[in-house]
Amino acid sequence: MAPTRHPAKPLNMTLAEADMRHGTGQEEPAAGGFLSLQGLGKRYQGFTAVHHLYLDVPRGELVALLGPSGCGKTTTLRMIAGLTPVSGGRVLVGGRDMTSEPPYRRDMGLVFQSYALFPHMTVERNVAFGLEMRRIGRAEVAERVKEAVAMVRLQGLEKRRPRELSGGQQQRVALARALVIQPSILLFDEPLSNLDAKLRDEMRTEIRDIQQRLGITAVFVTHDQAEALAMCDKVAVMNAGRLEQLGTPTELYERPANPFVASFVGRINRLPAMAMGTKAKVGERELRLTQPMEGNIEVMVRPHRIQLEPAGSAATESTNRVQGEIRRTTYVGDLIQYVVHVDGLNWSVEQPTSASATLSPIGAKVDLSWRVEDTLAFKSAG
Amino acid sequence: MAQQGDETRRNGLAIALLLPIVLVNVGVFLYPVLNLLSTSFKEALPGGGIGTEFTWANWSTLVQDRFYMEALLRSVLMSLLITFLTLLCSYPIALYLHRSSGQWRTFLLVLVVSPLLTSAVVRTYGWVAVLADTGLIKNGLEQIGITLPFRLVYNMTGVVIGLTEILMPYMILALLAGFGRLDPRCEEAALTLGARPIQAFWRVVLPLTAPGIALGCLLCFVLAVSSFITPRILGGGRVFLLATEIYDQAIVTLNWPAAGTLSILVLVVFGLSLILYTRALRAFD
Repeated sequence: MAPTRHPAKPLNMTLAEADMRHGTGQEEPAAGGFLSLQGLGKRYQGFTAVHHLYLDVPRGELVALLGPSGCGKTTTLRMIAGLTPVSGGRVLVGGRDMTSEPPYRRDMGLVFQSYALFPHMTVERNVAFGLEMRRIGRAEVAERVKEAVAMVRLQGLEKRRPRELSGGQQQRVALARALVIQPSILLFDEPLSNLDAKLRDEMRTEIRDIQQRLGITAVFVTHDQAEALAMCDKVAVMNAGRLEQLGTPTELYERPANPFVASFVGRINRLPAMAMGTKAKVGERELRLTQPMEGNIEVMVRPHRIQLEPAGSAATESTNRVQGEIRRTTYVGDLIQYVVHVDGLNWSVEQPTSASATLSPIGAKVDLSWRVEDTLAFKSAG
Repeated sequence: MAQQGDETRRNGLAIALLLPIVLVNVGVFLYPVLNLLSTSFKEALPGGGIGTEFTWANWSTLVQDRFYMEALLRSVLMSLLITFLTLLCSYPIALYLHRSSGQWRTFLLVLVVSPLLTSAVVRTYGWVAVLADTGLIKNGLEQIGITLPFRLVYNMTGVVIGLTEILMPYMILALLAGFGRLDPRCEEAALTLGARPIQAFWRVVLPLTAPGIALGCLLCFVLAVSSFITPRILGGGRVFLLATEIYDQAIVTLNWPAAGTLSILVLVVFGLSLILYTRALRAFD
């Protein structure tokens, strides 16, 4: 069967129509995602960048690929876009195998980290490019470009060249250029990492807004866990070419599947312990676990889930408790960060500030207590 | 007050640093060119002498003699053809070099530059050996039963082939220097937006490399117009060009005023191509 160019939808659809179409999502089979990666892998000489990756992205969802640099997330994105050939596995979009399609027949919009705007074209020409490649009539191109430019709030800058725009404006052009073709899937490759913090927050909300309004299925590559948690429906945490965990931001944060996810998503304190059923021994003390375990384990607690109490306070059934000594305090306005020495390890503890709060002095003996549910425990490696 | 002093001192330093090159250029470039210009208005005396009387004779001969006008036209057209062929042969190589990296790129760059380490005379004689009637190509083709009905050397064909190869390193280096704006991501962006590779090339890669193309073409055109060793050897004395004619007039006929007149004509051609180049650059921006 000869592949048709854009079988999924009519070309003359306006963004509003696209809105409705994406919203329903009823033409999709119940199983699997709209975008489905099946055992996707990439091997280079003597180095595997991505190992048998399985990932389903339901229609209309924004899924983040989160991981440290070199974890294979960008390679994965490039394989989805067709810019990097796969070594194994398949890329399916709406049930259709795209693995061997060239990028120009995949109908995906990609927003690059460096924006990759065409420097020799005006904003308008940049945005119109994808439509012109689809041989769409002049009048309709003009109308859709206008619509896309308005959506990213760049009216009045249509005749400017990319180099005459600020970083945030360039990013918006890149977004409009990818959106105007009404791609089946929108791909983001660390699009916000070249922006300053304030602009990044702004663009985060803006991208999320537009993605939800249009109901576009999107994959967002980032190494910034706050960005992934704040923007995305689901987050796929990757490490060393493997998918460590796929889940909603809450799932990842509250129930990380392994120590890597626990420590990569948010900050965490670690403490080695010996588990016997639902109890774990840390030196002389006992901690309660949420699930029975055996042998060497690592207990982990998030810094802001810990309460600081005067030494010797009585333990209750529902809390765990260790003793420590305050080594350092840092006041950062909305919270106080403590470094507390616990069993030869430095723990970090965060307490919200209030007008009446007093800083615990350095050297003070304190009890660190937290709810049993906030106790994460993992088998020690090796 | 102190600031002003600083500025004066800095300007003084700039002038001091620029002075040597200005003096050298006035001495070895401007003076000879002006000398050529004045020579072109002098009478040629037998035995290489130069008259003292002002005369329009050289210029009127130049304009009226069809031989010179044809040489001018031939020089310009042939150089344009050579420039175009050099561009065609060099562009893919430069693009490949631009995209390669690491030691492989270094190795390829050395390969590109290495012809410049041998003299053009040696390379030209190499081409004679390859293109001659008993040379590599004709002989080789005859071995498999093909006889070319035309000669490959001692005519325009030989000059074009030889100069194209000889100018390729300059073109490749100029193209590479001009490829700075070419971000591979731009090409990828074009592909993801639905452009086929050929469309991405025409709409994105080619426009972005246009400054490099203009620079390489200017360089090769100027070098082609002014080259005379290769046209003399590969043309076998049958291809009359401005540069070879200047050489003949100056060295063989010892008609210095005629040579000077032709040289000024070549300078005018260069001036015009430089104007075209700057126009083109402005158009790309």
